[in-house]
Amino acid sequence: MTAALRLQAVRARYGDRVAVAGLTLDVAAGEVVALIGPNGSGKSTTLAVAAGVLTPVAGSVSACGIDRAADPHGFAAKVGLVPQDGATYDELTAAQNLEFFGRLYGLGGRELRRRVARGLSRVGLTDRAHDRVGTLSGGLRQRVNLAAALLHDPAVLLLDEPTAALDPASRDAALADLARLRDEGHAVLFTTHHTDEAELACDRVAVLDAGRLVACGKPGDVLRPRGREVLYAHLRMPVPRFLEKSLRRELAGVAELEVTGNRLRLAADTAENLGRALARVLAEGLDLDGYRSPGSSIIRGVSSEKVRQ
Amino acid sequence: MTANLILAIAGKDWRLFWADRRAAALAFVVPVVLASAFGLVFARPTADSGAPQLPVAIVVEDDGPFARAVADELLASPRLRAVEMTRAAAEAAVADRRPGVAIVLSVGFQKAAEWGVDRPAVEILHHPTTAAERQWAEGVLTETVMRKLARDRFGDGTPVEPPFRAEATSVAGAAGGFDSYTHSFCGMTLQYLLFWGMESGLLLLRERRRGAWVRVRAAPVPLAAVLAGKALATAGLALLMVAVTFGVGRVAFGVTAAGSWVGFALLALAGCGLAAATGLLVAAVGGTEARARSVSILVILGVSMLGGLWVPAFLLPEWVRDAALALPTTWAMRGLDRVTWQGRGLAEALPYVGAVTAFAAAFLALAVWRLTADERRRAAGLGC
Repeated sequence: MTAALRLQAVRARYGDRVAVAGLTLDVAAGEVVALIGPNGSGKSTTLAVAAGVLTPVAGSVSACGIDRAADPHGFAAKVGLVPQDGATYDELTAAQNLEFFGRLYGLGGRELRRRVARGLSRVGLTDRAHDRVGTLSGGLRQRVNLAAALLHDPAVLLLDEPTAALDPASRDAALADLARLRDEGHAVLFTTHHTDEAELACDRVAVLDAGRLVACGKPGDVLRPRGREVLYAHLRMPVPRFLEKSLRRELAGVAELEVTGNRLRLAADTAENLGRALARVLAEGLDLDGYRSPGSSIIRGVSSEKVRQ
Repeated sequence: MTANLILAIAGKDWRLFWADRRAAALAFVVPVVLASAFGLVFARPTADSGAPQLPVAIVVEDDGPFARAVADELLASPRLRAVEMTRAAAEAAVADRRPGVAIVLSVGFQKAAEWGVDRPAVEILHHPTTAAERQWAEGVLTETVMRKLARDRFGDGTPVEPPFRAEATSVAGAAGGFDSYTHSFCGMTLQYLLFWGMESGLLLLRERRRGAWVRVRAAPVPLAAVLAGKALATAGLALLMVAVTFGVGRVAFGVTAAGSWVGFALLALAGCGLAAATGLLVAAVGGTEARARSVSILVILGVSMLGGLWVPAFLLPEWVRDAALALPTTWAMRGLDRVTWQGRGLAEALPYVGAVTAFAAAFLALAVWRLTADERRRAAGLGC
């Protein structure tokens, strides 16, 4: 596949701190790649470099063969950026926001109106077109954010933690959007902290640590050893620290438990052990909003109550 | 293409301004209210509205006929608004500057009628801030006494008019002379143009901290086009403020440009440019929004006061007026005074238009240089 986005030996820094150290990464058209890693690993910096808002001190960035350093405006026209939050004007309506960002990409007149209408329709916001963005929910705002990045039909789409602060339903919708964008032929690169998102929504995962690419490959290969069964769930209530420790001790030898914020991850060698671990977790009263197993790629959306019944 | 980008940025800022309609309305109402209040407070009688009268208290302590006659003439004088009262009442009134001066015809004033070597004293009580009024009262008293003495000595048929005729010509005023409303509307409009410029600068500082700015910077738009769009929006809204403020002033208080309307329009445009450049400068050197706001308010109030935007510059000490030549507000205000109530033509307005434009250009150049350098630093990962 031809690389729509190409980062070659990119080195970027903030002041004296090197944030990205010699990163090389390609994203092909019709491919979704997740950048994953702990805080400060260089995910957002990589995205900023790929978007052209941060100039690398070394290396090169190109989109559809257009080098960013040689032709910054030509490069920018090929890239759509969805910043993490507040990347629209709350005081303006969804339609006004899209019109403004569309004009920045040289759109105008009938074509702009057509694309705004299509963009709103694409993210299911046609009936909220004239609502101020500040009055929309977090999930809907994120959809306006996405629509604004798609107006000029960019070949490369960059999303910085698109599911941060979204409820489970909005998160699922956002991940479904990524799949649709891939099917439409966009090259998609997004950052996330959550391995379940990376497993469910991506063709490849690039793992960053301290600004270096430490692994890159298919989600199943990178995020879990072959043969491992994994289950992700969303927690309705935070798990007390002592309970998490106690559960981890109880499950030792059967499954691994990982809790990050309101996300829970269980991994086991067999489906049987995974089921046992899930039953134990539910028996302790952990309130799960839904769970999913990337092995089957089925989003089951089963609540704790249903499972207990 | 670049023009379209500039218009897109300007259009977005225009929409952001009107998004909060109450705040937008206040931006037009506040200068009108303040200008009206200042105009009322500083309203002064002009040449056509009759001779001004000095408020003064008259105290008669001498019971002779000459003192009584002089007091009666003072009370009847068209140049004074005189009221007779006791010394105690006069002292209390003067201390409160109601009025600021009292003429006391003390015991022994009768001797003045003899016009001898032994001259009686006349006390002039005055408030510490009314030195000019004191001299005015003294002059009227002297004139009144001299006329009285002339009539007493040479008879009622004696001519008592001075041997000359004074003709007053206002050299710095149109037919109507100084108009406090016109001055106040010019001053307050200028001040609020600067405040609007500051607000647009703060908006830019706020915007640069939002994700929307990252998206704007990621788009194929040169920074110069972004800044030009912002300046255009600020200047356009400033021009609308000028039109609304002066429109209300004209309808409600007869505010007008007695001189050159073209000069007035050029000064208004230069003032709008100054507001736009001030906005960018605030964003360029302001640092954080809170810091920029505090410093800007202080600076704008300072340059407004020193530039004669609050009170006419001729009321300020001479050294302040000289020092204030370093401020753009001084030039803008003087230019507006020339073409409005002073009734001067376009030729006299042009140097002021040039000075205000030069200040705006200097501010703009400094702001663009700083903002461009700052954006470069940010893109290189060196800024915040």
